[in-house]
Amino acid sequence: MSLYRIENLTKRYRTGEVETLALRGVDLTIEEGEFTAVAGPSGSGKSTLLHLMGALDEPSGGEVYLNGTRIDTLGKREAARMRLANLGFVFQAYNLIPVLTALENAAFVLELRGMSRREREERARRALDDLGMAAYADRRPNQLSGGQQQRVAVARALAAEPKIILADEPTANLDSETGHALIELMRHLNREHSVTFVFSTHDPRLLDSVDRIVRLEDGQVAGEERRTQA
Amino acid sequence: MPVGVLSLAWRNLWRQRRRSLTSLGAVALVVCLSLLYYSIGGAAVNSMYRNLTEAGGQVQVHVQGYRDLRDFSDGLIRDASQVEATVRAQAGSGVVVGVLDVPGLLIHGDRSRAVALSGRDWPAALQATYLRQNPLEGTFVRSGDDTGIVLGRGLATALDVGIGDEVVMYAPGTEGFGAGSYTVTGLVDVLDPSAASRTALVSLAAAQSLAAQDAVSHIEVHFPDIRRLQDDAVTSAVAERVQGALPGLSVESWRELSPTLVRILDSLRPVMAIVSVIFFVLAGLLVVNSIYLGMVERIREFGVLMSLGASGRRVMGLITLESVLLCAAGAAVGVAIGLPLVGLMARGFTIPGLEQYYASFGMDPMFYASIQPGEIAFAILFALATGVLAALWPASIASRLEPVEAMRFTA
Repeated sequence: MSLYRIENLTKRYRTGEVETLALRGVDLTIEEGEFTAVAGPSGSGKSTLLHLMGALDEPSGGEVYLNGTRIDTLGKREAARMRLANLGFVFQAYNLIPVLTALENAAFVLELRGMSRREREERARRALDDLGMAAYADRRPNQLSGGQQQRVAVARALAAEPKIILADEPTANLDSETGHALIELMRHLNREHSVTFVFSTHDPRLLDSVDRIVRLEDGQVAGEERRTQA
Repeated sequence: MPVGVLSLAWRNLWRQRRRSLTSLGAVALVVCLSLLYYSIGGAAVNSMYRNLTEAGGQVQVHVQGYRDLRDFSDGLIRDASQVEATVRAQAGSGVVVGVLDVPGLLIHGDRSRAVALSGRDWPAALQATYLRQNPLEGTFVRSGDDTGIVLGRGLATALDVGIGDEVVMYAPGTEGFGAGSYTVTGLVDVLDPSAASRTALVSLAAAQSLAAQDAVSHIEVHFPDIRRLQDDAVTSAVAERVQGALPGLSVESWRELSPTLVRILDSLRPVMAIVSVIFFVLAGLLVVNSIYLGMVERIREFGVLMSLGASGRRVMGLITLESVLLCAAGAAVGVAIGLPLVGLMARGFTIPGLEQYYASFGMDPMFYASIQPGEIAFAILFALATGVLAALWPASIASRLEPVEAMRFTA
């Protein structure tokens, strides 16, 4: 069974009298352990697709299944519970909680899960260590560079040991060297921990290192490419 | 260490330090003012209680229906020594005093004044209290003294007498000699100006010789060590016991003796609670403002929390906790400032401008701040409730946010 199965997914936005069709009947499957990029120009519907895959928004039509369970019809509370149990998110703007240290940010999702203090500290430290951020555990986001903040954001997603991490343009705000290092790190996590990654991106560096590229244009899948990485 | 939700809420509060401090200060001020207000109210209540009970005791015994009796003799309790002994047996640690009030005319030379001569013996504790409030010149009433009399200074002035002068009391319609001659042994400066021109005190024996042997018009039971209303746990029990022992007489507690004042006393605390609620509503508006602005500034962040898996209820709980923490901190500061002030005021204070007013009712103008643990708890609980109520609106808005829209939000 596919990890994700998306069928005929559509999303309309209405602003006043103007209606925008962000997704027009997207069909897609994601298998466990994939390192997949959803690529396309700005406005092609990449972020919208990721939001719907994370049950952060309601589609206008179509169906989204995660592990065979339909998630596009979940209520707000059930959707939050599903995200907490299954998904990790990494955002373009890092979105760390400014009053928390790197360690506390990494442990935050575990706290939401009601995990014991000791266990969440252990797992958060391990995740920070995996991301090379152990030395910065006690720093707050405003004491970290953009690249370091994004690593903490990945550690936050990773610490919860989710089935899948959805990352919305994770390298967009990073310089070339930092972005490349982050991609390598995520690739490593994908291989070592078998974490499934789905990115939205138009960063060519990221596209070079993925197994699969799904190209979106005008809200439709315009093509798909599979690669074998060394 | 990973952060708990309490620590997160506390840190969030200090993101806008000045705003939070303003709201915290408002809550602290209201809690502090409430404590002072309750303690001053408590002082007023206790002052009324003290003045009432020091004057007439906590319990009084009369003949049945005494308020409607017109004839002097009908209002007398006969075999007073025996009845007093019965009362004393039921009164525990209470001080029992028989009083014989004799209406009549006090005469000196060609001057005369209508008075209600008060005949009673003065146990040391009651005498000390009376003389503290009504300073004495000369010698006070002595038990068993048949000839001495103490006059209010106003009465002495009206009769033009001083210490050592003779006065004659004429009490027609009584059962004793009906008239007697007394030597003024002392003058008291009575607080109540109207009482000052009527006060005439003699021993119980002197009054009984004049008007009715072995009779009293009423018996008082005093508990001089009970000076605060909240400490009075004995009055009703003693009144019940005495009534049980003397079924033919009327036994009333101070509450039944002064129903109007008791109504005022009973209404004071609810009125204080209402005023206190108004204080808290005003402080609550500031807290609402603070929490609401904090919520608006962090809408993106709430979107992120929700996308990470936090439920709307969780977000609501976080905002409510922040508000409650803010108010709890304010309450702690308010109590820390307010209680020492109450402690200072508990040593005694007067309200400038009210001394004369209180004196005109024969009341001690000195107040002693008094607060009960329940009132402190009430102020703290109200501060916490203000925190919960102030958070309801902003927390409810935040809990209904859509994660994607919230993350796109710019304040």
